[in-house]
Amino acid sequence: MKWLITLLCTLCLVACKPTVEHAEINFAITQAPLNLDPRYATDAASERVSRLIYQPLVDFDAISKLLPILASWQAINDKEYRFTLNKSRAPFHNQVPLTAADVKATYDSLLQLKDSPHAAEFANIESIKVEDENTILFQLEQADTHFPAKLIIGILPKNLIETGHDFSHHPVGNGPLKFVSWQNKLTLQRINDGQIISLQEVKDPTVRVLKLLRGEADLIQGDLPPELVKYLQNKPEISVKSSIGANFSYLGLNMQDATLQNLKVRLAITHAIDRQAIIDKVMVKNSRIAGAILPPEHWAGNANLKPYDYNPALAKKLLTEAGVKLPLKLVYKTSTDAQRVRFATILQAQMQPAGIALEIRSLDWGTFFEDVKQGNFQLFGLTWVGIKTPEIYAKAFSTNNVPPNGFNRGRYADAELDKLLANEDWPAATARIYAQLPYIPLWYEGQFAAMQKNIINYAPKPDGNWDNLTTIIRSVTISNAH
Amino acid sequence: MIRRIVSFFIVIFGVLLLTFLLIHLVPGDPVEVMLGESASTADRAQLREDLGLNQPLIQQFGSYIAKLAHGNLGRSIHTKTPIIELIKTRYPATLKLAVLSLLIGLVIGIPLGIYAALKANHWQDFMVTIVSVRFSAMPAFWLGPMLMLVFAVWLGWLPVSGMESRASIILPAITLGFGLSAILTRMTRTSLLEVLNDDFIRTARAKGLSEKTVIARHALRAALLPIITIVGLQMGSLLAGTVITETIFSWDGIGRLLVESIEKRDYPVTQACVLVVALSYVLVNLVTDVLYKFADPRVRFN
Repeated sequence: MKWLITLLCTLCLVACKPTVEHAEINFAITQAPLNLDPRYATDAASERVSRLIYQPLVDFDAISKLLPILASWQAINDKEYRFTLNKSRAPFHNQVPLTAADVKATYDSLLQLKDSPHAAEFANIESIKVEDENTILFQLEQADTHFPAKLIIGILPKNLIETGHDFSHHPVGNGPLKFVSWQNKLTLQRINDGQIISLQEVKDPTVRVLKLLRGEADLIQGDLPPELVKYLQNKPEISVKSSIGANFSYLGLNMQDATLQNLKVRLAITHAIDRQAIIDKVMVKNSRIAGAILPPEHWAGNANLKPYDYNPALAKKLLTEAGVKLPLKLVYKTSTDAQRVRFATILQAQMQPAGIALEIRSLDWGTFFEDVKQGNFQLFGLTWVGIKTPEIYAKAFSTNNVPPNGFNRGRYADAELDKLLANEDWPAATARIYAQLPYIPLWYEGQFAAMQKNIINYAPKPDGNWDNLTTIIRSVTISNAH
Repeated sequence: MIRRIVSFFIVIFGVLLLTFLLIHLVPGDPVEVMLGESASTADRAQLREDLGLNQPLIQQFGSYIAKLAHGNLGRSIHTKTPIIELIKTRYPATLKLAVLSLLIGLVIGIPLGIYAALKANHWQDFMVTIVSVRFSAMPAFWLGPMLMLVFAVWLGWLPVSGMESRASIILPAITLGFGLSAILTRMTRTSLLEVLNDDFIRTARAKGLSEKTVIARHALRAALLPIITIVGLQMGSLLAGTVITETIFSWDGIGRLLVESIEKRDYPVTQACVLVVALSYVLVNLVTDVLYKFADPRVRFN
């Protein structure tokens, strides 16, 4: 056996080297971005990185009010909007100044792309006119009072658009971080101080934690089971920061299902879930019960939605009143994500005393999401991520927005709600949705980030974005060796 | 040999056809994947037409084969990267990991197997059996993090995961190699024990050859055939990518690319990965057959 021990030791010694002190900040992320061209980016990681590399005309503040970033705007009428670029805007990373022509080129190219998932949002644009170097006029075919809120796509340089530059892999914007390289990891550099920040995909949560402990990663954020978060909280060399979340988790219901069309059944399911117990036992700090897609602090949020309590006896009574034969058998579809499957098994256990036999079907993401879009489900669990505007209620519940024309995946049809949505009466619309339960609101999961003690100026944002990479610093150069 | 080459092309064509059909049978539509849920029906129809997805299946398959013949694997739906570039970066990573894992498996497995056979039914044989059963019973999703904990976090000798340094390959290779070594130990032991009782071994010993010569020159060579078979099969699996190990160790190999492409319904990438995996299997099988002939001259290609 000596030779075996010698072999292993040799392998380790060959590889053994002191841990290198690194100036760059390493961020271990769950999922690498897929495409860094903002005209194509739809996944969360790509959008979060795009926010750092590019700048849009407008963005949203903490309560999701519209905020000028590159430009302020003026509504000439419901069909014409004039945007004036800020004088203090930064040039593109290739040192070319950003002008109104770049804005026009970005949105013109978006309209011409037939395979962009964002193109449909801008189909209403009739023309884009450059009035001068700093001023652009958008003219619409149909009136749209929410048009400025749609202009959140990062602006690209006109000269590179014209040459067919590969923004997907070599992005050039005028944001606070510029692109350096992208092979096994994505490397960015902060413009104002030259700080290098690298983002590396590490899918497995345990491995992300081990990399943080080893010092290979300086920062990790989200997507950890609570027991690993607690484990990290007890590590003296690690600091864990948390904040409230704004991403809304819910149970989707198929409103074309004969049983689920009965409001009493939907109420029964709602009363059969002990959301507070789930939040307390298996979710991270700062998670909270949700009532609507937009959280109460949002300008269109509704703080008056009283949580449904956990009451299995009442749930059973409601089911009996609804004339349902007990136990009520329901199929719940979810993805294969470990935490989602864990939630599903808890829901199954909680619903049992209420007379609901929940059958769990855990499917790979592609199949699961296709089933949801096709209406091939009774119940499903999903989360809305990064929603900023109340138009989501119309997209998710309006009768006209059944897939493939929108996100009304539960195929809910309610003429009264349609009227409220058309009038943009958000308090009344959210109250109606909450009472009618076309979906069952669950929670806003808290956000957290764990980092080395010497990493400062970083805290997670409620929607999980990585905007604080613009401020993050390593306080002093400390060796990562343990 | 000509028959082999013909069967090679038949297998590859069969794989291409099956993958193409399966991909069109599973739920999911590339146009939906590209445009999301907000696109209008007209936009979807237009893109479907532009991509040729409204053509009959046989025509789509024909145009796929024609493109393939020109070395055009297409582009990823999500990343827009030419697929040939993805394969060029991912496949060598898998190949490197597979070769090193196989070496570790061979270096540990064959000597342990020989040792166990020579000490058959003694306590040493029993110990080797226990160790090899332990190795084979340790799944990668457990062994990988355990190796990381010990060698990376506690001892600080090796990186936890990633591909930045040359040392990054050691832990994933050991994770795969240990499992492989267990199989090879058992196979070598069994195969050698069978041969050791054969007449030609008795003759070799009767001629007065040393035990080392008998084992190394006569017994081991005769026992090699089943070992080569197992090595060939395992190498095929390794080249198909070892998804769990690649995922745990953030190793950007072909297996991970394949699974991610299936999850994201990135059909052109899935097709290309399956093609590469099938090619690997067929080539490894071919090499295995050639090795049979070297190990045992009685084997003929017929």
